[in-house]
Amino acid sequence: MGLFDGDIMKYEDWNKISRIASRKSLWMVHFCTGCGAIELPPVMTSRYDMERFGMGPMATPRQADVLLITGYLTVKTLKRVVNVYEQMQSPKYVISFGSCPINGGMYWDSYNTVKRLDRYLPVDVYVGGCMPRPEGVMNAFLELMKLIDEGKARGWEKYQKYYEQYKRNQKMAFNFEREKDEGA
Amino acid sequence: MKALELIGKGEEMHGRAYIKSDKEEASSIIKKLKENGFDHFVMLSCVDWIDNNEFELVYHLWSYEHKEHVMVSIILPRDNPSMSSMHELFPQIETYEREIHEMYGVDFEGNNRLTPFMLEGWHDMPPMRKDFDSKKFAEDVFDSIPEIKEEEDEGI
Repeated sequence: MGLFDGDIMKYEDWNKISRIASRKSLWMVHFCTGCGAIELPPVMTSRYDMERFGMGPMATPRQADVLLITGYLTVKTLKRVVNVYEQMQSPKYVISFGSCPINGGMYWDSYNTVKRLDRYLPVDVYVGGCMPRPEGVMNAFLELMKLIDEGKARGWEKYQKYYEQYKRNQKMAFNFEREKDEGA
Repeated sequence: MKALELIGKGEEMHGRAYIKSDKEEASSIIKKLKENGFDHFVMLSCVDWIDNNEFELVYHLWSYEHKEHVMVSIILPRDNPSMSSMHELFPQIETYEREIHEMYGVDFEGNNRLTPFMLEGWHDMPPMRKDFDSKKFAEDVFDSIPEIKEEEDEGI
């Protein structure tokens, strides 16, 4: 008989407590892509001070919970992002900034940026705008906390469940030329 | 302007000296400029004049002594463009040459580092050439990637 078998606490109740705890100590990976990184210093420092929500930057993905995609993502960066994301421990959440990861934004016809991030990684919260203001970023953090509290931020579970599909899409983006050559 | 007097040709353009040259002459002009105070190599740029079927390489130099900016321009044909490397004069030219080799496909003889530089796994034509259709490429590659098909939400 263990802690979670119903003797001491129901599994659902334990889940709820763990969600409350996890939303109050979200650490984000210090990994910035594109131009949105410049919106983070005001969010982190005394003007908007995200520390009051228990959020802080973390230099290693192993101890972080949130991955921010701050702007356009090239195919080359996507490889590194996937590396970082897979090193993070569950539960983990992805926030995407700006219009570029939504539909390509101003790089809609560029040869080296991926257009839709949700085809490669599960995204929990989108922040629109080019670029979003720090208020928007703070709002996204609060929204993420709300989703975690309600148990709706389940991107990481989706990534595990549809892993094959995500991997297939990532490989298609990474090896697009090689596959084309082989097919020809 | 000092540079125009030194070389004996060229014209003034928006406050800069603009010297047209050819492949053989270019390195001696740049060497002469370097020996006479124009010792800061700013950058090497490339323009694709697709209507004239030619590339224009522009070597930008600056002189702290004369406070002058010189552009040495070389016209190359668009098919099999090649130029002699000038990394003996300014070592940093090597990196600019790598970039232009990758983005425009200009060959620099004497540069041994013309390996892939910024693009990873690129096998198409150099992407900064004007006849590279970026929009079609993006549509072909990125629109063909399917969406993630999710099953009915059963509350994971």
